[in-house]
Amino acid sequence: MSERQILKGCVALAEGAIAAGYRFYFGYPITPQNDIPEYLSARLPQVGGVFIQAESEVASINMLLGAAAAGARAMTSSSGPGISLMQEGLSYMAGSELPGLVVNITRIGPGLGGIAASQGDYRQATRGGGHGDYHLIVLAPNSVQEMYDLTIKAFYLADKYRNPAMILADAILGQMKEPIFLNPPPLVLPEKPWALTGARGKKAQLIKSLYLADGEMEQHNWHLYEKYRRLEREEVLVETDLQEKMDVLLVSFGSCSRMVQSALDLARSRGIRVGFLRPISLYPFPQQAVREVSREVGKVLVVEMNTGQMWDDVRLSLYPGCRARLLARPGGGIPAPGQILAEIENLVKAGDGIDESVHQA
Amino acid sequence: MSTKLTDLVQKPQFLSGGHRLCAGCGASIVVRQILMGAPDDVKLVIANPTGCLEVSTTIYPYTSWNTSYIHCAFENAASTLSGAEAAYQSLKEQGKIKEDFRFIAFGGDGGTYDIGLQALSGALERGHRLIYVCYNNEAYMNTGIQRSGATIMGSWTTTSPYGRYSSGKKENRKDLTAIAAAHNIPYVAQGSISHWRDLVRKAQKAFATDGPAFINVLSPCHRGWRYPMEKTIEVARMAVQSCIWPLYEVENGKWSLTASVKKQPVEEYLKSQGRFAHLFKGENKKILDIIQENVDAEWDKLQKRCEQK
Repeated sequence: MSERQILKGCVALAEGAIAAGYRFYFGYPITPQNDIPEYLSARLPQVGGVFIQAESEVASINMLLGAAAAGARAMTSSSGPGISLMQEGLSYMAGSELPGLVVNITRIGPGLGGIAASQGDYRQATRGGGHGDYHLIVLAPNSVQEMYDLTIKAFYLADKYRNPAMILADAILGQMKEPIFLNPPPLVLPEKPWALTGARGKKAQLIKSLYLADGEMEQHNWHLYEKYRRLEREEVLVETDLQEKMDVLLVSFGSCSRMVQSALDLARSRGIRVGFLRPISLYPFPQQAVREVSREVGKVLVVEMNTGQMWDDVRLSLYPGCRARLLARPGGGIPAPGQILAEIENLVKAGDGIDESVHQA
Repeated sequence: MSTKLTDLVQKPQFLSGGHRLCAGCGASIVVRQILMGAPDDVKLVIANPTGCLEVSTTIYPYTSWNTSYIHCAFENAASTLSGAEAAYQSLKEQGKIKEDFRFIAFGGDGGTYDIGLQALSGALERGHRLIYVCYNNEAYMNTGIQRSGATIMGSWTTTSPYGRYSSGKKENRKDLTAIAAAHNIPYVAQGSISHWRDLVRKAQKAFATDGPAFINVLSPCHRGWRYPMEKTIEVARMAVQSCIWPLYEVENGKWSLTASVKKQPVEEYLKSQGRFAHLFKGENKKILDIIQENVDAEWDKLQKRCEQK
């Protein structure tokens, strides 16, 4: 086991990427993720890697596409507006089944918004974001340790499923420092027989997202569909902290879940029986886990730093008859543990059959 | 129009004091000198992509702009302004607007040399009547001093570090002013805040141009270039004197130099700034020669262009 160190989230993520064997970074400046390219511009040459600052996010994502097609593990990082510019390239990567990692250290939107943390990009990340019928694999860390661990995991999943993956963090996770262990797993880079590595002495290969023959595109979409169903069956990541006979179940992801965990401790110290469920993979979403746990408890409180995006996924997953209320803090604010506790207490008092209303933290 | 200082100080100020740009920032000086060139009888519409100038002059609920002002995304000031200008021309033709408006974009080098180049090229080619001003501080200063297409070779930035594996930025900058000139638009110029009369005169010409005009202005940044904040004008003047930033204009295809200089070695200019400090140590010194060679070659090319009849 490595020594414990104190690292910034963005740096931990960059080290995770290096531990995953990645050596190619393409990116473009945008706050609050600049620590990643700045760190990697000095770090990658030390491990024989390549750092390229592109002229735009459109260029970055297509450099990623090019490196992925050549079989490399590659990454780009950005934030809100830059991720929006990458959507065309991401759709092409999904359509061409090219793996790669896109890091979104989110900020507030819509528009220029602001550089403080927000979870407003949940829907864009989990629904695909670009045009067409596809998903990204989306992992949401909630600590600096997970910024490292899940980055490694995301590279493996991307390669395994030949699909672009996203780390959905935010300004809090990117900028905060925490103790962390850097324990790289043994590096096993997968074979990529599909990669474009030259055709000398072997059959020429083609990677594309354009299928013009009658029915070919339909078949391709069903093929992608099967891949996403397999992801949903096999790759769900979820953290739970449950009790017997719970009054309320708390559901939250990312940095927001840290505040929720503080509220959980406060509630339990007051004798309230509270459970906690944190989706780590936002796509595939832990539908089954939410369904099973919500069967045990009639009341669910979703806490998010947006106006209710994961809330939709939770409500799609609830056990029939169970209701989920939303405690929301969009636009750069952070819900305080005391506010979450107050909402928990309200729910406990409310009796059975709560309404699915939106409450502002 | 006059470029006498006594007349210029009487002009209305369109960028008010009290904005939050750094003391010694070149950008606000660029804006004020350019807008001093505006005719008295026109109204202004400013487009400003995200960058230091935008974030520091429009902090909600305040604004420093005593004009109409559109903020837009990083890559599309030229597009946004094209739309505004096209709408104005149509409304003017329909008789719905009586006043004369002029349209000016202020973009940094990140938003102009790199991500905004496509939008700029489109606007210049379509022939909108607008002035695009690049305030060029040679890196992405607003996001924390990352290298740009305008960054000089050898320069330290946060994404072109120096050390065992690197001696700063490896690549030479692109010649954006010449790229703009290659669009064969009526007016293109390169200016410096150290030569205010020259710059105001260029702005006056740009305002008088019935079509697109492009002005590229060197805008020293003491945070990114690492020099004392009171030296901004001095550093800008050294850039002109060393011919690393020559002053010229291209008027209807005719190139001409607009400042007489006694060409100084570029080393003195580089020495004045911390971003080049590593070039004066050990093996890096050979980069100084390459920079001088680049400056000489570009200066020769420019002089030849300006001699042609």
